[in-house]
Amino acid sequence: MMQDRRQLLKSLLVGAACAPWASLSVAAPQSTDNNRFVLIILRGGMDGLTAVPAIGDPAFADARGVLGQFASAPLALDNSFALHPLLPQLHAMYGRGELAVLHAVGLPYRERSHFDAQQVLESGGTRPHEITSGWLGRALALAGGGPLSAVALETAVPLVLRGPTAVDSWAPSALPEPAPDLVARLAQMYRQDPALAQALARAQGLRAQPGMAANPSMPGAPGAYGGGRAAVALATKAADFLQRGSRVAVMDLGGWDSHTNQMLPNGAMSNNLRTLDASLAALRDGLQPGGVWARTAVLVVTEFGREVVPNGNLGTDHGTGGVAFVLGGAVHGGRVLSDWPGLARKDRFEGRDLRITSDLRAAMRGLLSDHLRVPRAALDALVLPGSASLGALDLLRQAAA
Amino acid sequence: MRSSDTHAAIAAHRFGLGESSLNAIGGDAPGWLLQQLGPAPPQTGVGLVSGAEGIRRFAQFIASQRRNPAAIGSAQTGASMGASTGASMGAGIGGTAASDTRSTEQQFGEHFRAIVQADLRARLSTAALSTRPFTERLALFWANHFTVSMAKASARGLVGAFEREAIRPNMAGNFEQLLKAAVQHAGMLRYLDNDHSAGPDSAIVLRLARRQRADAQAPPRLTGLNENLAREILELHTVGATGGYSQADVTAFAQVLTGWRVPLQRLLAQPADAQGVQPVQFDAAWHQPGDKVVLGRRYAEGPQALDQVLHDLAAHPATARFVSTKLVRHLVADDPPPALVARLEASFLATGGDLPSLYRSLVQSPEAWAPQQAKLKTPEEFVISTVRVLNLGEQAFARQADGAVNQMGQRVQAAPSPAGWPDRAEEWLGPDAVWKRLEWATRVAGLVGRQADARALARASLGPLLQDDTLRQIERAADGPQALTLMLMAPEFQRR
Repeated sequence: MMQDRRQLLKSLLVGAACAPWASLSVAAPQSTDNNRFVLIILRGGMDGLTAVPAIGDPAFADARGVLGQFASAPLALDNSFALHPLLPQLHAMYGRGELAVLHAVGLPYRERSHFDAQQVLESGGTRPHEITSGWLGRALALAGGGPLSAVALETAVPLVLRGPTAVDSWAPSALPEPAPDLVARLAQMYRQDPALAQALARAQGLRAQPGMAANPSMPGAPGAYGGGRAAVALATKAADFLQRGSRVAVMDLGGWDSHTNQMLPNGAMSNNLRTLDASLAALRDGLQPGGVWARTAVLVVTEFGREVVPNGNLGTDHGTGGVAFVLGGAVHGGRVLSDWPGLARKDRFEGRDLRITSDLRAAMRGLLSDHLRVPRAALDALVLPGSASLGALDLLRQAAA
Repeated sequence: MRSSDTHAAIAAHRFGLGESSLNAIGGDAPGWLLQQLGPAPPQTGVGLVSGAEGIRRFAQFIASQRRNPAAIGSAQTGASMGASTGASMGAGIGGTAASDTRSTEQQFGEHFRAIVQADLRARLSTAALSTRPFTERLALFWANHFTVSMAKASARGLVGAFEREAIRPNMAGNFEQLLKAAVQHAGMLRYLDNDHSAGPDSAIVLRLARRQRADAQAPPRLTGLNENLAREILELHTVGATGGYSQADVTAFAQVLTGWRVPLQRLLAQPADAQGVQPVQFDAAWHQPGDKVVLGRRYAEGPQALDQVLHDLAAHPATARFVSTKLVRHLVADDPPPALVARLEASFLATGGDLPSLYRSLVQSPEAWAPQQAKLKTPEEFVISTVRVLNLGEQAFARQADGAVNQMGQRVQAAPSPAGWPDRAEEWLGPDAVWKRLEWATRVAGLVGRQADARALARASLGPLLQDDTLRQIERAADGPQALTLMLMAPEFQRR
């Protein structure tokens, strides 16, 4: 069964060398300049085989041990793959054809450092620190109808959004708003300091929009020790920004570095999965009015996957290949896209990790080119340099859009 | 303006944590900095506990959860909120579903609230009141270099103790001494999971495997290595990601580290009279037998191997470069001047990693005194320097000590990852981040701005760094609070 699937998938989408993806992609230029794109970064290295267990792989049960035993049945996607039982709303999206799952994907980076892997993930380079701005930040200026307006749902602007185009950042506040007169004086003072001037101007511009200033209904700052509700609230806020005209939004969901006891029903991994499921559902709900969801594609990525076999503490140590999700009303979902490498020791990368068989950048390329209309030449040269041979993964619904 | 005035202002703000007046520094700014060197003094504060006591409090929490039958299900949750004592206790805790995780989390938070608040208050107050601010800045730097963060529950209650016991007394010796103190502290061992790492062929793993064979129902609680600490020591504490190590080195180093643990189980057995139990012990039953090869050198089995590996890592040329680069980045510029890094690197190698020599090289280098303020303060530095310049004293941290810093996007003693907080301006220059600084400055100025003379304060504190334009804006402000807000938000005060 797995073998058949593998052959089928191979014929569809493997092989950087022959780049079949490019020929499959169908552009829909008439409507793309109103599309929305959301990037969600799962920091810490999400364990792909927990989120999307390869239940059809004959080596799965042996290799995973207790980590392959779930408190309730995984939610089947097909005969080969399932979603973790704590991802029911993602499963519903899959059923509606709005979620595509990419498995055994990863970056050109093969070491196991969080920090270098995140740098590669966000910069779009092929080696850590080769590029010091972000692929999405560079794409904003090059997209159809660009430069696109973008917002980071956090206090800092993450590397992935840094580039020539200034972007917004937003996080909830419990402090009072400064008076406009004070802000004007400060702006005068900042004429000598362009970096501070730009940050202030953007923050001020954002708050000048009606309803965008203080938001007393928001719970405390995100990233608190628990964080579930705060993340859902941020996803709702992201939808709010996208409804008001932001074209691109980026948010983080952290805490995926599961070195210990990751199967506990109320441990960190379980809570993270619940938060992920709830946040994506909240984002969808918030984008339904006005039909914005139908024009939205969301890419959910992590810096690397984890080792196939549990470590000494029923957790997993850093690995390479993992999972990404692509979802949205604009997405051709209901599919698991994977050139499955197999979980047997001989099939693993260095005998340890799920082998990367598809480059995550092909998905980025597909979304950037088909959804945000970034020209291919710009993708190759500026946005994701060195990725031209990967083609672009076809992830969108056909031209009905 | 005399250049000694400029140097005094740079010493006060770039190397120190802000001064309300430059008079105390006098004409010899480098001398003012160098006479501060030495181990950091004990923190000021009440309710501070040792690492041993922090561990005991953790054991108490586990015990209390076990005693309470209603909380049996969630006891393991409390233990596992990143803490995963389950693994360390062998086949101790069952796998039943918990129904009320939030209440266990809240209980856990409550249990440590007093310790955590005391730690935060002590860290911030000590920095705000210190007469040796250069030393305090270095203590903050090293605590960030060797990050232990309560963002992970297993380190809750230990972060302050880690700073007081591992960092502060050891930052004026050599790097090896500091490295060993940091790695072998209970806070680090728990934060990076070494507590739970067992040699795959260790006695404990073999014993548990036999027990599991006898009782097929029992889940395999412990099967071997956890690489977390080994990898981060190499990548973040010593040679750096480009230091030339392989996955095999990480695994071998993790094996060397096996056995270095916090004996929570023993403390659990005797919580009442546990004061005598050392918080960190080498447990031979967890140690991987046999020789290990790390970065080309062979180390024999046993507790001495960790000391030997750390000794060799501390002397590694890549460590000299990595540590020098980070120090220069922190004190001089986001993109460190290569010549200055090379000078520190040479000093590191020539002196066997003598830290005061590094600090002296830095202070005596012309690049460190460039008048351009190349560093943006972190939120924590902004808050501390504001409290210092306005003489707000420790009452500024009386309630929810870290509230202001948190609002600006930095969680004190709770960095999101072992890499610690970033040390580059762009990481802190998000529009929302700058806006939050403005909101907080407005609040502070609203409280004290009517009594303060922002114009005089700006001149006295910033000296020649204060630009004419900035002073003019402050002078033209509508009222005292607005003037003070402008002073606090001025580029000259936001940067250093």
